[in-house]
Amino acid sequence: MNTTYDTIDKAMLGLSGALITLGVVVLGIVEILAGEPYGAAPVEQTNDAGEVVNTIYPAIDPNVRTGLVIAGLVVLLVWGLYRIATPDVDEDSETVGVTAD
Amino acid sequence: MSYQRANPFENASEVAVSTPLAGYWLAILRLLTGWWFFHSGITKIIESGFAYTYGPNYLKEMTGTALGPIPVWMGNNLAWLIKPGVPLFETLIGLAIMAGVLTRLAAFGGAFFMTLFWVGNAEFGHGLVSSDFMGLLLFVTMGALAAGRYFGLDAILERTEFVRNRPKLKYLMG
Repeated sequence: MNTTYDTIDKAMLGLSGALITLGVVVLGIVEILAGEPYGAAPVEQTNDAGEVVNTIYPAIDPNVRTGLVIAGLVVLLVWGLYRIATPDVDEDSETVGVTAD
Repeated sequence: MSYQRANPFENASEVAVSTPLAGYWLAILRLLTGWWFFHSGITKIIESGFAYTYGPNYLKEMTGTALGPIPVWMGNNLAWLIKPGVPLFETLIGLAIMAGVLTRLAAFGGAFFMTLFWVGNAEFGHGLVSSDFMGLLLFVTMGALAAGRYFGLDAILERTEFVRNRPKLKYLMG
């Protein structure tokens, strides 16, 4: 099992992490800064009688955020499949230059 | 005269999973995560056998999610698989994770289930990181860290001639 990562590996891991972080943390900060609701679900405002008078929706559609996280996980899965599909390079072997005859 | 490294995070990516405490805790985490799914699956089998009719209905109600039409399509067309599959696969995933056998494959299965639960339950009132999402992360962690190698049977299986001759199997084990 090859444990050295080349540029493609690093790019896919970076993309996966970036998508997950964007969906959860970055847009989470945006959601907080945008005011109520601070969660990712609509909040119902009620009057003293308990009747719903207003519903406040999140600034960012939770589907967008969950979609970004799922996309990040899919990239991680694709990377895993890519690693299975590509031939392992023997980490102990060294490439020795040979002069052409 | 002081020296400063060009990259302060130079060695920050090295994880000391080989320390006794880290290995011990990964094994505990694996056992409890596996039990969580095993318990969920085996109790469904006890209560309703392999006819878990709530499964397809749950998926059919997952409209307007980030997964698009996939869950609804599954609920409509894969009911024959989902009814017995949910209790069966939950049980098998739980057993595999607990024993540390084919840990990465089982962790993928668990992550697949948890993605559907996370999106389907949509308990986002306290933010996107719900208990379902934490469960999803647990399974991804089991797979990423190859948790079956710590006091799990994969540690033994990976040393067998069969697996050593087929190193790609380690992507499903570990």
